[in-house]
Amino acid sequence: MIDPAPVVFVIDDDASVRDAVKNLLESVGLNVQVFKSTEEFRQASRPDAPSCLVLDVRLPGSNGLELQEALARAGISIPIIFITAHGDVPMASRALKAGAIEFLLKPFQKQDLLTAIHHGLERDQVKREEQAELAELQSRFDNLTAREREVMHLVVAGLTNKEAGARLGISEITTKMHRGQVMRKMQADSLAGLVRMAQKFLPENRR
Amino acid sequence: MVSAWFGGMGAGIFAVLISTVLVDYFFLPPFYSFSVSTTAEAYFGAFVACALVASWLSSSKKQSEVALKEARDELEIRVSKRTTELMKTQADLAHLSQVLSMGELTASIAHEINQPLTAVVTNGHACVEWLSANPPKFDKALLTAQRIIEDGTRAGAILGRIRALFKKEAVARDWVDINEVIQELTVFLRNEALRRGVSIREDLAPKLPKVMADRVQLQQVVLNLIMNGFDAMDGSNNSPKELAISSALEGTSEIRIQVEDRGTGLDPEIADKIFDPFFTTKSQGIGMGLAISRTIIESHEGRLWASPRSDGIGSVFQFTIPIGPKGSA
Repeated sequence: MIDPAPVVFVIDDDASVRDAVKNLLESVGLNVQVFKSTEEFRQASRPDAPSCLVLDVRLPGSNGLELQEALARAGISIPIIFITAHGDVPMASRALKAGAIEFLLKPFQKQDLLTAIHHGLERDQVKREEQAELAELQSRFDNLTAREREVMHLVVAGLTNKEAGARLGISEITTKMHRGQVMRKMQADSLAGLVRMAQKFLPENRR
Repeated sequence: MVSAWFGGMGAGIFAVLISTVLVDYFFLPPFYSFSVSTTAEAYFGAFVACALVASWLSSSKKQSEVALKEARDELEIRVSKRTTELMKTQADLAHLSQVLSMGELTASIAHEINQPLTAVVTNGHACVEWLSANPPKFDKALLTAQRIIEDGTRAGAILGRIRALFKKEAVARDWVDINEVIQELTVFLRNEALRRGVSIREDLAPKLPKVMADRVQLQQVVLNLIMNGFDAMDGSNNSPKELAISSALEGTSEIRIQVEDRGTGLDPEIADKIFDPFFTTKSQGIGMGLAISRTIIESHEGRLWASPRSDGIGSVFQFTIPIGPKGSA
């Protein structure tokens, strides 16, 4: 799967800072979208691409730290780089504990910002690949019949064909046939491969 | 006794000795002789004792009256000294309250300067990038350099405004544009307002005549009224939190400035006490802000007063400043 080009979102209420950050990021070839408030950011339709967020802490309306919390509550895990004119230690530690990539003091150095952005985009890319894989596995799993799912659950839990068949009240031969279908539909090349898949997306197999 | 009154203890005793000798000579038998018969010794002794006691009483009474007078004089000196000290303290407090508010402004100012500075540094980096590209993007670099100039100029202008705000002048009155005073303050308070979730609305009448006033003192009054408004809204749940500042011509001879908040409002019971020195409703306050503000406004021949807002939410503080006798400069 080829991902669309990554995008960096910038939220700062100061027009000159906002445009300067956009200018810098564009000068190194990044796609940038700027917003002047957290509300504007949340209402905007954002492209489905690897992205990260450069976020001013002090903003009119809801501030940067509040946006971070709101996004986390909404299950949106976009990597965040905070920039602020007057950060203190509690503020920084709160932001970093909540998963921020970096907490930069204005004026920041180019390399610090770019390193953080690349780190953020990379993290988002990895997460997107994981999510894509998960979605793929889920759709394969959705194609299984009810019986095949039952067989898969028991097999990945370590039961033999005979034991699984006995548990389900079907013959060993029938169980073996279902298991073959499961392996084919899930595109698993071995039992170990099937177990790994199950661990990724079946809740009861997740560690 | 008389000599003791005027001459003190020493003179008193001397007088007793003289009179003793004279009494002995003239009145004690044998008369006209300094010798003392044994029968008269008792009377003589009693006379001497009485004379000494009377002399001592007289002298000590005189002493205590003198001491009293000295104490009274000293008291008067001390009272006038303390009054001077008190007046100086009040002047110091006026400056202190200004410094305190300025302290609160420091964070705001740091932010104001830091923003264009950040833009300059960031654009500087961008400019280098555009020039180092292959091929170099001269049009982008040029645009970026122009932005650097703009932001640098903006930072310089902010510094200039701060310098004007902090300049501590002797009580020098000059023609002051009151709208300018208000606008300078609201710029510096924008960040503080943001932090407190307050929006500032300005409704300033255009082309107001200038007033003859001490600029720094007027700033102090307006700043004080705005900060009070902020504090009043901190302590209330009224929404939206809005501070409205307006200026208008009042008749033909005065300008009226109005600061309205949507805060806790004024309790009628304390409404006339709020201008008293050391009266405060704030846990952190020293109760000098409004007292000093009123003193300043009255020294400019204006009036400062407070009332509840017309819709009953929050309060309105207003003051007037007369336009100079010969109109604006």
